[in-house]
Amino acid sequence: MRTYIFILSVLLLQTSCEDIIVVDLHTAEPKLVIEASINWIKGTSGKNQFVKLSLTAPYFDSIIPPANGATVIIKDQKNRVYNFIEDGMSGIYKNTRFTPIINHTYSLEITYNDEVYSATETLKSVVPIDYIGQTLTGGFSGEDTELKAYYTDPADETNFYFFEFISDIPAIPSLSVYEDRYNNGNQIFGFYSEEDLEVGDRVTIRNHGISERFYNYMFILLQQNSNAGGGPFETHPTIVKGNCVNQTNPENFPLGYFRLSEVAELIYTVQ
Amino acid sequence: MANKFKVYLWLMLCLPLYITAQEKFTLSGKITDQRSNETLIGVNIIFPELQTGTITNEYGFYSITLTKGTYNFQISYLGFNSISETITLDENKALNFKLTESTESLDEIVITENVEKLNIRKPQMSVNSLSINTIKQMPVVLGEVDVIKSITLLPGVSNAGEGSSGFNVRGGAVDQNLILLDEATIFNSSHLFGLFSVFNPDAIKDLKLYKGGIPAKYGGRVSSVLDIYQKEGNSNQFQMNGGIGIVSSRLLAEGPIIKEKGSFLLGGRSSYAHLFFPLFDLDSKAYFYDLNTKISLNINRNNNIYLSGYFGRDVFQISDSFDNSYGNTVLNFRWNHLYSDKLFSNLSLIYSDYYYGLALKFVEFDWISGIKNFNLKYDLKHYISTNFKLEYGLNSLYLTFNPGEINPTTETSGINPYNLIKKYAFENAVYIDAEHQINSKFALSYGLRLNSFQRLGQSELNIYENDQPVSFNEELQIYEKAKAIGVDTYDRSDVIESFMNLEPRLALAYQLNDNSSVKASYNRMSQYLHLLSNTSSPTPLDVWAPSGKYIKPQLLDQVAVGYFKTFKDNKYALEIETFYKDIKNRIDYIDGANLIANDAIEQVILNGKARAYGLEVLFRKNEGKLTGWIAYTLSKSEQQTPGRTAFETGINDGKWYNTPYDKTHDISITSSYELSQKWSFSSNFIFQTGQPTTFPNGQYEYNGIKIPNYEARNSSRLSNYHRLDLSANYNPNPDSTKRWKGEWVFGIYNVYGRKNAASIAFKENRDTGVNEASRLALFGMIPSISYNFKF
Repeated sequence: MRTYIFILSVLLLQTSCEDIIVVDLHTAEPKLVIEASINWIKGTSGKNQFVKLSLTAPYFDSIIPPANGATVIIKDQKNRVYNFIEDGMSGIYKNTRFTPIINHTYSLEITYNDEVYSATETLKSVVPIDYIGQTLTGGFSGEDTELKAYYTDPADETNFYFFEFISDIPAIPSLSVYEDRYNNGNQIFGFYSEEDLEVGDRVTIRNHGISERFYNYMFILLQQNSNAGGGPFETHPTIVKGNCVNQTNPENFPLGYFRLSEVAELIYTVQ
Repeated sequence: MANKFKVYLWLMLCLPLYITAQEKFTLSGKITDQRSNETLIGVNIIFPELQTGTITNEYGFYSITLTKGTYNFQISYLGFNSISETITLDENKALNFKLTESTESLDEIVITENVEKLNIRKPQMSVNSLSINTIKQMPVVLGEVDVIKSITLLPGVSNAGEGSSGFNVRGGAVDQNLILLDEATIFNSSHLFGLFSVFNPDAIKDLKLYKGGIPAKYGGRVSSVLDIYQKEGNSNQFQMNGGIGIVSSRLLAEGPIIKEKGSFLLGGRSSYAHLFFPLFDLDSKAYFYDLNTKISLNINRNNNIYLSGYFGRDVFQISDSFDNSYGNTVLNFRWNHLYSDKLFSNLSLIYSDYYYGLALKFVEFDWISGIKNFNLKYDLKHYISTNFKLEYGLNSLYLTFNPGEINPTTETSGINPYNLIKKYAFENAVYIDAEHQINSKFALSYGLRLNSFQRLGQSELNIYENDQPVSFNEELQIYEKAKAIGVDTYDRSDVIESFMNLEPRLALAYQLNDNSSVKASYNRMSQYLHLLSNTSSPTPLDVWAPSGKYIKPQLLDQVAVGYFKTFKDNKYALEIETFYKDIKNRIDYIDGANLIANDAIEQVILNGKARAYGLEVLFRKNEGKLTGWIAYTLSKSEQQTPGRTAFETGINDGKWYNTPYDKTHDISITSSYELSQKWSFSSNFIFQTGQPTTFPNGQYEYNGIKIPNYEARNSSRLSNYHRLDLSANYNPNPDSTKRWKGEWVFGIYNVYGRKNAASIAFKENRDTGVNEASRLALFGMIPSISYNFKF
């Protein structure tokens, strides 16, 4: 909506301006951020997985500190235990023997700074990407490259999708979530629009099967990232809580999410 | 409640009995503008020897009953020459008067400020009137005269900032304002996202804004009533007027159908800035237009009928991918009937709707939503004696809500057609209101409005465990949608839920001396409609939702106390008011609530409350070459949504938080100076405490993107808002006797080019990946020029 009114005022008058200003912000105590995303790309074994732990940082800092020295364990519903071992001091904890099983429930347990964090989630399946539709004349300017990644939603169940479009040009990844409420059982698409994309550039497209809770989480999270700051059309920004809980000290709740997805991946070259 | 009711009833019935049975006669009639025969609202008819008087109502009618005798009286109305006459009242007399404008130049030049003279005797407080002449005089952005922007210069009125729709009164939300155009409800008052309002200034005669002490005649919204009357049209001669500006142009024709008996008015306005878009190589459109029409017919002395209409649309098209249009439609038939020279009545039959349509070609679907309402109003005003007047009537509204329809726009679209469940409601009210001059010092007005709201049957309504559509996840400490455990089906004639509320209204005035008084008021009001909006200010896409099984009506209690004083024979006036209001059942939204195309809105709503309090000061200079006012408001506006049980967090941890329209200090200085017959100048200065907003207090990385982490809701503020506007009116030939009269208006908005933040966005720089705060300022310094004419 912010873009909407900005474009409108530009169209009308060419009088509005957007500039970068200095704002004094408060800084809250650091919190643990859990990025535990198990991605089982179709056609791979899914053995190699990792969990990323980091801390919140002051808003204008350019470095996000890793959370080092944690113990990270994932258990499946047959009580098989997968230990995730930190790779140096990177905050990235790896396991190379993970066994992903569709619709199995997994639990995550992290011990960090003597506090225990936990979460449970189910591994969700996904349908393949059927094909990619492309136009070079999309967007408000008529000059954006638009990609549509078509997939066929299964009619007999309620599905949720998480799309990533990552181009090899320097651009922020485009993330979006979809539900099947208005298109259950149809062939439908994940949508991507990028103005700087040229013929020959490559885009990695991933579609993840996700739970309804992750859909809700990501829906709110993406609002924080794209719209913020008290304009007339912005929703109230908020702290977004995921599915991880601090068992030791619930007040010091973590951020992030424990997600397990089957992933349909496709690398597309702009034509 | 029953006891209270009895007391009121007793007051109503007994008080008139004090009126003694001397021989009395009634003087009544209409007061009109000599030139156009247009009725005049709020004209004073004063009998100095008796220290009494009356004013004309919304239809220019007056009535006063006095003991037999010979009296002097004066008729005065700002901007018009007064009439002084003597009358021998020995029978009931019907006399119409015509007033001549005190200046023969264009409407835009008035030597007296046309804010209604402060009436220190009447109990009505917290009300501001503005004539269209005053509004037209104020400097405005892009030279576009704007009713809504003008009222935000009054104390207690603000809006959420530039480029935001609607207005906020005394810390209330935008959807809590009842906006009436010729008695019909307008659901969205803004064009182009609040850059302009929907009211064509040429078609408007008069407006009144009630902020408190709201008479029982009005109901259905809890914050304010903005009552706008359109002109009837000139029944003496055909005339046209219009204006050419840099954003829009307007043209209005009016004239007699039957000389002095019937008139028509037809006005149109359209913006055309989009015509220049091709110059900037933009394949887009953004424009608005509106049409105002009215036919007035004076059948005989006792009967007048009016047929009026309004149609307005905003249209946005962005290349081929996006097509959006929305607006209001109003159709309205009214019949004024005089049962006697003491009993005036008006019957209104009104249809109004709000339509929103959006076609998104790139995702291959379109979307329609809206609200429709049929309204029957019957209002009577009974001029029982000089000291006692009664207003009573009824109001019946039938509402249909279309929360949305989705349809695929292409054969290959992956979207299934989907209709959200339509909702229906029936709202009824009866009221009685008395205005009672107890003695020469003490006046009282008291009234009662009884209303009922029936939510009628809809095709499906979800059932939830324990009737709780929102559940709280204690482990994760978040609110979630509860799963429906079943669905009830209804017929249209079924009543799903009904509410009834009794609203007492009370106002009193005590005159301290000839030029000062104190006033106090109390009003209770209820509101059954809620505009679903979880942004700082409403968007055109927002839908209205009726109260029902899961959404309770908003209930307001407001008290206000004021001190009023005029100086130097009404040359200056001072109004000081303080108010406190408390609103129950103000809905709030759980984090991440998606309100668009949501068929079960109850799953994302929690019930909260709101409160606001403040002090308002208005100092005006009404006469002379320099006129204007200084308005200052000190106020607080907050809301709170606590958890429903001890285990729940509520919204914002259950703490009170500032509403987006909480402006601690709000100062407006409006002035105009008439240098000569040719030149006059105006200025506005506005200062407001920055709008509350929420800033990040940290950041983190998730899935390759940077996420700001936020502090408590609305706990920071944008920087203070201030700006100065200037305008000059130039009338090249003030003494011209030609029919064609033209006038230039030159304006500069935001003279010193302050970059007032409309918003601050915290985001990752696309190129560097570094976080930054980006300020959006909508209007820099904007010069404008427009030409107004009439012939």
